[in-house]
Amino acid sequence: MKNAKLFLIAASIIVALTASAEAGPREDIIAGFTAEGAGAPNPDNGKMMFNKNYASGKPDTPGCTTCHGSNPSQGGETRTGKPIDPMAVSKTPDRFTDKAKVDKWFLRNCQGVIGRECTAQEKVDFISFMMTQ
Amino acid sequence: MSDTNTQNNKKTKRESRMVKVWDLPTRAFHWSLVAMVFIGLVTGYIAPEWWMGLHIWAGYITVTLLVFRLVWGVFGSEYARLETFTFSFSHIISHMKEIVTLRPVRHYIGHNPSGAVMIFALLLVLSIITVSGLLVLGGEENQGPMAGAASYAVSEIAAPIHSIFVVLLVIMVVLHIGGVILEGKITGENLVLSMITGLKRVPEGTAPLVHRQARPLAAILVTATFFAIGGSLLAAFATMPPSGLNHLEPNKVYETDCGDCHLPYHPSLLPAKSWEQMMATLDDHFGEDATLGADSVNEITTYLVNNAAEKWDTEAANRFKNIDPEYPMQITKTSYWIRKHHEISPETFKIKGVGVKSNCGGCHTDHYTGRFDDQKIKIPKAK
Repeated sequence: MKNAKLFLIAASIIVALTASAEAGPREDIIAGFTAEGAGAPNPDNGKMMFNKNYASGKPDTPGCTTCHGSNPSQGGETRTGKPIDPMAVSKTPDRFTDKAKVDKWFLRNCQGVIGRECTAQEKVDFISFMMTQ
Repeated sequence: MSDTNTQNNKKTKRESRMVKVWDLPTRAFHWSLVAMVFIGLVTGYIAPEWWMGLHIWAGYITVTLLVFRLVWGVFGSEYARLETFTFSFSHIISHMKEIVTLRPVRHYIGHNPSGAVMIFALLLVLSIITVSGLLVLGGEENQGPMAGAASYAVSEIAAPIHSIFVVLLVIMVVLHIGGVILEGKITGENLVLSMITGLKRVPEGTAPLVHRQARPLAAILVTATFFAIGGSLLAAFATMPPSGLNHLEPNKVYETDCGDCHLPYHPSLLPAKSWEQMMATLDDHFGEDATLGADSVNEITTYLVNNAAEKWDTEAANRFKNIDPEYPMQITKTSYWIRKHHEISPETFKIKGVGVKSNCGGCHTDHYTGRFDDQKIKIPKAK
């Protein structure tokens, strides 16, 4: 009995580890940005981006935190009162797994917040930061 | 005449002084009607919109009471019968003169001529109020048996009639109560008590009373027949689908692409021109960049324009067609929206679950049907 339990725990740890290392849709998306010229992901820059008060885009949305809230593990709220799921991958596991959605929202929100499109490097930095959260 | 008097005198003295004038059904009718008018006025003028259900029930019960009273006016006991208080025009005028000069020459056991005019007028005004109310309910709210038969245009005529006659009703109620007080002063009789006990005093020297009995069976049969016919008619009307309330095929692209940031607004809430303008300016969408792919933009624009306010005959669609030309894309800037929400405090809009004025679904639980029923308004509790 005890052995069986231990085996199960060990097995689930192994499965979990392999799953995280395995290439998933999120890794494919990052690989896509790498192909567009992004280098190694820099989560620290992603963190800086998330917290920065750009104020160079639309006046109503000076930063990511305007809508997403200051804590990525907690949800935010759109200006129309609709709740936004947490950005942290640990809280919302399907974050950055749908290429079309990722492209749509990076395009919109970078233009809205920064006033320009984000570079491929910025995108992987941002995603990598949210993967650590 | 002297023979009958002698006959009366043989009976006990008490019996000859107090006589049952208002039978139980008449009294029950009177006080039930008082209650319904009271509920109708409170729910119509004071209570918030979501009490509409009670208002409607007060209306239905009033109709039932009116039908009953007319039937009882034929088959009821003596003083309930309409014929006992149907007076000639000159008779009414001379009585009114007597009242005004406070010199009553004649005493009436039942309704006096001026009071009788009030009774008929009240029955008429209440009929107009309930029928017009039923048409407003059907035309504007798309509810009730006339939802299919009455268009919004019908309710636009019926609504002012409903309001004006209610004001008239209030004036009449005041006059009615004034008349009761005045006659009480003149005759020394407590008429309110009479309407509770049914008993009224018979002055000395009154001509002998002919007191016809009620015919309850006939009254029940006629009332039942009336409701069977009227009910079937209304039931037939009720099978008609609500007029101008279309079936809206859900659109996935609209609901996800627009619904990601805000509730998907019902397409009937703005005219086609406003939707077109909005979809052409998504890069600056109320201060945000809401750019969409060309395919999405085309599909959503078609969907919104095909189902825009012009295609509906609901209250919301008819109201929000009239946009503020300065803010053609903002429902919350229309004069109707502002008027309907001016009593809602800014704090209420900040309650969790509402958040902003543009979040219709925060309180209107049926917003995505385009109906916006008064009874479906539920303001969340502030925590």
